[in-house]
Amino acid sequence: MPEREVLELDVLFVGAGPASLAGAIKLNRLFKESGQDASVAVLEKAAEVGAHSLSGAIVDPRSIAELFPNYKELNIPVEAEVSEERMYYLTEKKKLPFPYVPPSMRHHGCYVTSIGKLTRWLGEQAENEGIDIFCGFPGTELIYDADTVIGVRTGDRGIDKHGEQKPQFEPGADIHAKVVVLGEGTRGSLTKQLIRKFDLMEGKNPQVWAIGIKELWQMPQGTVTPGYVAHTMNFPLGHDIFGGGFIYGMQNDILDIGLVIGLDYKNPGIDPHHEFQRLKMHPWVRSLIEGGEMVSYGAKSLPEGGWFSIPKLTVDGAMLIGDSAGFMNGQRLKGIHLAMKSGMLAAEAIAEAFASNDFSDASLNSFADKVNGSWLKDELWKVRNFHQGFDRGLLAGLMNSGLGLFTGGRGWGLKNKLPSHNGHELMQKGAAAERYADLEFDGKYIFDKVTDVYHSATSHEEDQVPHLHVSDPDICKTKCAEEYGNPCEKFCPADVYEMTGEGEDRRLQINFSNCVHCKTCDIMDPYQIIDWVPPEGGDGPAWVNL
Amino acid sequence: MKIAVLIKQVPGSDSPLRLNPAGDWIDENVVAYEMNESDSYALEEAMQINERSGGGEVVAVCMGPDRVQKIIREALAKGADRAIHIKENDHGETDPLVIAKVLSEAVKSEEFDLVLSGLQSDDLGMGQTGVLIGEMLGMATATLVMATEIQDRNIKVKRELEAGWFQWVTLPLPASLAIQSGLNQVRYPSLKGIMGAKKKEIKVVEKSDLNGGDSKQSLTNLHIPKAEKRTEMISGEADQSVGRLVEVLKSELRVL
Ligand SMILES: Cc1cc2nc3c(=O)[nH]c(=O)nc-3n(C[C@H](O)[C@H](O)[C@H](O)COP(=O)(O)OP(=O)(O)OC[C@H]3O[C@@H](n4cnc5c(N)ncnc54)[C@H](O)[C@@H]3O)c2cc1C
Repeated sequence: MPEREVLELDVLFVGAGPASLAGAIKLNRLFKESGQDASVAVLEKAAEVGAHSLSGAIVDPRSIAELFPNYKELNIPVEAEVSEERMYYLTEKKKLPFPYVPPSMRHHGCYVTSIGKLTRWLGEQAENEGIDIFCGFPGTELIYDADTVIGVRTGDRGIDKHGEQKPQFEPGADIHAKVVVLGEGTRGSLTKQLIRKFDLMEGKNPQVWAIGIKELWQMPQGTVTPGYVAHTMNFPLGHDIFGGGFIYGMQNDILDIGLVIGLDYKNPGIDPHHEFQRLKMHPWVRSLIEGGEMVSYGAKSLPEGGWFSIPKLTVDGAMLIGDSAGFMNGQRLKGIHLAMKSGMLAAEAIAEAFASNDFSDASLNSFADKVNGSWLKDELWKVRNFHQGFDRGLLAGLMNSGLGLFTGGRGWGLKNKLPSHNGHELMQKGAAAERYADLEFDGKYIFDKVTDVYHSATSHEEDQVPHLHVSDPDICKTKCAEEYGNPCEKFCPADVYEMTGEGEDRRLQINFSNCVHCKTCDIMDPYQIIDWVPPEGGDGPAWVNL
Repeated sequence: MKIAVLIKQVPGSDSPLRLNPAGDWIDENVVAYEMNESDSYALEEAMQINERSGGGEVVAVCMGPDRVQKIIREALAKGADRAIHIKENDHGETDPLVIAKVLSEAVKSEEFDLVLSGLQSDDLGMGQTGVLIGEMLGMATATLVMATEIQDRNIKVKRELEAGWFQWVTLPLPASLAIQSGLNQVRYPSLKGIMGAKKKEIKVVEKSDLNGGDSKQSLTNLHIPKAEKRTEMISGEADQSVGRLVEVLKSELRVL
């Protein structure tokens, strides 16, 4: 049997997103400045940096400018500076412009960007500055010495669907590090373990997530203005579901269209993918894609809870950054600059820990102080009650965030902290209202899930244990079928979950090779029996510019 | 053995393909690239040959624009000792004769014992490179290679023929072998391999500095075949409808 590889490093970042890459670059520079000879590496489950990156995205360049002061001269891959902004309230057939775009939704000086291109670029910078990036290696376990995190084990390769070793079997590697930084993005699988083990959410609001569904459209030459930005509200979600649409113009006549939907909806019949398809039935949205061709599809969840849902950030030997910690501004739908900043602040804390050779929680916790003393907190503090306001619907939510503008973010203009709820607990039992009767999958503008999944270019080695662990599949055919009508079939945007067979043979079939790594199932399953773990290294979407 | 392995970067098999606006190439903006499948088997075979025969050098040779650095790094991480990148400025040459000429110019002076290539590239599928290079470098050549065995200054190879038949041939070295996918178990790069790859040499040569000659063949137009569904109901008496059925099978579907 091949031996397990063991690697000794100083600092390991897990996940090559903006948070880790910015953090690793910053840390490596701090080490160089102080003459500290320490190694920094990044682990990424995708086959290449950027292949699992999906975002809007409008990027606030604040953190980029801090990390690369001359960024305007560098070949940083942005599509265009935001040139035209619109905000619409959509009814089924009409669009009403908002009389005024609130400051939080103004994007002067921001850039329309593909996060896939941005992370690839950041990855190149990191490698050029001497950081190792290990692509195709998912972190699957945290390694402990008593209660101190001392490293990460990566996933085995070459295990067949029965859990047996195939001829090419290679055990995962053990990477030991003085500090492990989890930048796994939304609902990280190691992050989830760490939060549980150390009860890091104690005293915090539960995290609330949303799912974003997105397609890229190739439009006829000369029809898309790069930097065009539009956000929509109401149709197709209505007032009771948190969320809204986004439409961004990219270069080469590519139009980004997406819909964000709060994963705290009540109707178990909601199908986020189908809601997104309905958005394209709106006459105005349809007119934007008329004559175009859909070229890419993807979905990803995002943390929306805000400041009060950020867990305790450190334990002995490890810390949380970026979306893994929930540094996302739900009101601005922006997390990239916050993810980067959190990584950079973590880097400062780590550099200090190396100076004092102390990697305990108490030492690493200077990260939290740095967050508290930075613009990162100021930005999130102002919108700390944003998502909570939508518990009572769109109008209440808008009013709450409007009042918050005048009171520095107080809930309903009064309260310092509004509570939040676990999204999956809000789902209501009982028959779901049918919302999709008018949806016709014409294969041209409106697509079924299978067609969309094809355009996510996702693939998984078929002969492996499904990476979606359902701890009690009996619940699916009994309790869940009765109580919620198997919402996994609906909330999964990639057709992974399928109830098949009749009567006694009824069972859950998991088409795991369709999975686009959005983590919605792990978040939204009402019984919390689905555990998303990383599949074999390199498997998953092959996104280029989502 | 001193072995050159020719590797090519091709669109990933799960990447959706679209055409560029000019219609003469695919739209590279939406494509995720990877190492050509049979080339990765060729690379593995080269490393195994040297591991079996007690040493030598494996040099990965790749032609293409900057993006191909990714698979060059991958080859180095897996264990190639060094690499040669023949740099092109556009999406890449498509005339097999020029491709072979440039590649053989690039490796000629190094006097390799073996040149391994994949059987064919998954994008254009010409399947000529290994054979043409063998001719240009004056090497013995075998295609569809399923197994190799070094015997002193010869190499014995198993070739895949039609219908489940195989052929063993012994060739004198130096030789050019076009490798069939599946002949070995391709290894994964290790973490230390990835770290070590950064320190390995990648020699960059401009394609224009190698005498490849003029392309005699070029791509002027690509198109995506239109999938059409058409149903014809053949009705009437059995003998008449059989006649029509045979006609359709023969002249329209051409399966008879
Ligand atoms: C639909 C949508 C629209 C958005 N729009 C905007 C916008 O317009 N502007 C904006 O600023 N932000 C936007 N965001 C938010 C923004 O994308 C995130 O806040 C940001 O990407 C977070 O960065 P990160 O580095 O924390 O995580 P990510 O970017 O998610 O990166 C995490 C990386 O870690 C990898 N990974 C995860 N687990 C493991 C593991 N166990 N082992 C190895 N690798 C692992 C993943 O594959 C991924 O590459 C949007 C998000 C969504 C979903």
